[in-house]
Amino acid sequence: MSTRKAPPLSLSPDRRSLLLAGGALAGALSAGAPQRALAQSDSSNVTNAPISEKQQQRNPFYGAHQAGIVTPRPEFGMIATFDVIASSPPDLVRLFRTLTTRFALLTQGWTPPEADPRLPPPDSGLLGPVVEPDNLTATLSVGSSMFDERFGLEKVKPAVLTRMTSFKNDSLDPALCHGDLSLQFSSNSADANIHALRDILKSLPDLLVLRWKQEGYVPALPAKPGQPPESARNFLGFRDGSANPHAGDPAVMNEIVWVQPGSKEPAWAVGGTYQAVRIIRNFVERWDRTPLGEQERIIGRKKPSGAPFDGKTEADVPDFAADPKGKITPMDAHIRLANPRTPETRANLILRRPFNYSNGVSKSGQLEMGLLFIAYQADLEKGFIAVQHRLDGEPLEEYINPIGGGFFYTLPGARDDQDFLGRSMLEAAGIALS
Amino acid sequence: MKLPQRPTRLAGLLAAGVALSIVGGAQFARAEVAPLDLVAPVTDYKIYVSAATKKLVADTKAFTDAVKAGDLKKAQALFGPTRMHYEQIEPIAELFDDLDKAIDSRADDHDKKEDDDGFTGFHRLEYGLFEKKSTDGLSPTADKLQTDVEELAKRIKDLTFPPEKVVGGAAALMEEVAKTKISGEEDRYSHTDLYDFQANFDGSKKIFDLFKPLIEKNDKTFVKKVDGNFTTVAKTLGKYKTANGYESYEKLTDADRKVLAASVNTLAEDLSTLRGKLGLN
Repeated sequence: MSTRKAPPLSLSPDRRSLLLAGGALAGALSAGAPQRALAQSDSSNVTNAPISEKQQQRNPFYGAHQAGIVTPRPEFGMIATFDVIASSPPDLVRLFRTLTTRFALLTQGWTPPEADPRLPPPDSGLLGPVVEPDNLTATLSVGSSMFDERFGLEKVKPAVLTRMTSFKNDSLDPALCHGDLSLQFSSNSADANIHALRDILKSLPDLLVLRWKQEGYVPALPAKPGQPPESARNFLGFRDGSANPHAGDPAVMNEIVWVQPGSKEPAWAVGGTYQAVRIIRNFVERWDRTPLGEQERIIGRKKPSGAPFDGKTEADVPDFAADPKGKITPMDAHIRLANPRTPETRANLILRRPFNYSNGVSKSGQLEMGLLFIAYQADLEKGFIAVQHRLDGEPLEEYINPIGGGFFYTLPGARDDQDFLGRSMLEAAGIALS
Repeated sequence: MKLPQRPTRLAGLLAAGVALSIVGGAQFARAEVAPLDLVAPVTDYKIYVSAATKKLVADTKAFTDAVKAGDLKKAQALFGPTRMHYEQIEPIAELFDDLDKAIDSRADDHDKKEDDDGFTGFHRLEYGLFEKKSTDGLSPTADKLQTDVEELAKRIKDLTFPPEKVVGGAAALMEEVAKTKISGEEDRYSHTDLYDFQANFDGSKKIFDLFKPLIEKNDKTFVKKVDGNFTTVAKTLGKYKTANGYESYEKLTDADRKVLAASVNTLAEDLSTLRGKLGLN
């Protein structure tokens, strides 16, 4: 993560250690601790914390949309879902207000109050006495069960929000599915996400019961000046996200991701989006025993470069129209089914923001790993559901098995510190806010 | 925290511990409770524990007699209620690590799980009675359990109750429920977990009620919130009461399990401040 270049290997050990010591010294000095700089310049302690220069990275919290969707994906992500235990409208208001307050503190950074040694500390302390933002985003979404008879929200349910049902290749574990709420955390470190989750658990024990969580990450790549950015690789070894719509283009995002005024969605939902989460196990041992050519035909891209078969780089767009019989890219290749690139299928585009996950070993002694798939779209039916139905029966199914996830509606953003996430939804349902 | 197992040495250490922890520095201003104020509730708690221990010894006798007589039905029926007295006083009972392991360990705590020779006590008998559905070969385990609870009663009688363990016990009981009981792992063969729930809540609420008068004047909101959560738990568990005890854990609805989980987590959070509020370390 450091931008400091590693010294060339030909460096003599003496010079090398001098350089490293100098680096540590400079770091200590810039942190404003000249008195202790010398004592701390020992870079030989193997348990010295790895250096990050990105802890100050901060994403704005307030806005028309929540952060964590078109925000560039950092290295670490997490989805945690919850059941809501609220027995009255004031409970609901407290739930959404408190989540908003905590999200604002956690994502902007803050200093928790000094702890009374006789009481449990107000903060887990996981990130030290000062909570740096570390590029954290916290994104709140609601599941279809939030709109059942419990909370008085039946009438304001988003138009196409449903409970995820099993697709053809799914083996869904009920313990890894659904939830009244989904919280997505993403940041520069696994610890920043875990810290945020523990803060939420401690802040709302009477209203939230954790249901399931999945953490993931994507590998960081060195910057390659003059070359287009690359998509991170998934656990199949392929670049994943190559054909993603351009998140930096507001017009494209308004078309594909953000619910617009005048759509079939209720007015309160404008500025929100649908979140589809899938825990997709990859059978990596079998994949690794599959010939390279077959792997590439299944995916529809060249493995080293990520280029389509008729292109040179990952960014090249495959011309399926010129290949109507699938002689270049098989008709059932993953990328061709997912995005046939016809005028009609433009309505099915989605914004993917996945992470890889790795969870230990299965009972059969195989690796439990795969993709924490997260996608955002303005229309869940035309987006993820349509795409997944096109993928039903694809050759890749031999190597993957969705085991969990859920569908959620990501609430519009909190506009300022007087606003809170979910306000428009509660107001639309006629729930008193004070 | 694991404490030494010899009761005499333990009592001495604990007495010293009490003195130290009460004198501990007060860096933060708070409405201090005078150490002497703690004497009466701690004494009352000892009376409560003594009564429960007495019942535990008597009920375990009836339970183990049924096991040894080969009366499967009776032994099964007595399993849940008998354990309740142990679960009520767990903050004190678990101070004796050797006995706690012998009386109340679960198969998971042993290398060879159910087949492990070290797997004894209530859950070993539960495994025989409910999983194997037989009293065959259980007599030695039954005898050992009876001996162990009698030894526990003796040690508790000699014990000087450490206030911070007593007060901390209110939260510790909720942590126990949150950790293994909310999932139904504790009584996995008999599904009598709701008896344990009730007993853990009773034990926790007893402690809270005894110390409540010391907090109430300064912290009405806190007391009201904790009382409210105990009431929610009582109402929820009340739905599963039967003529002789409680329904099987498997009858607990998903919605009620979540309500209990939220109440337990909130009680654990709130009661974790009880020691601090009473000026104990």
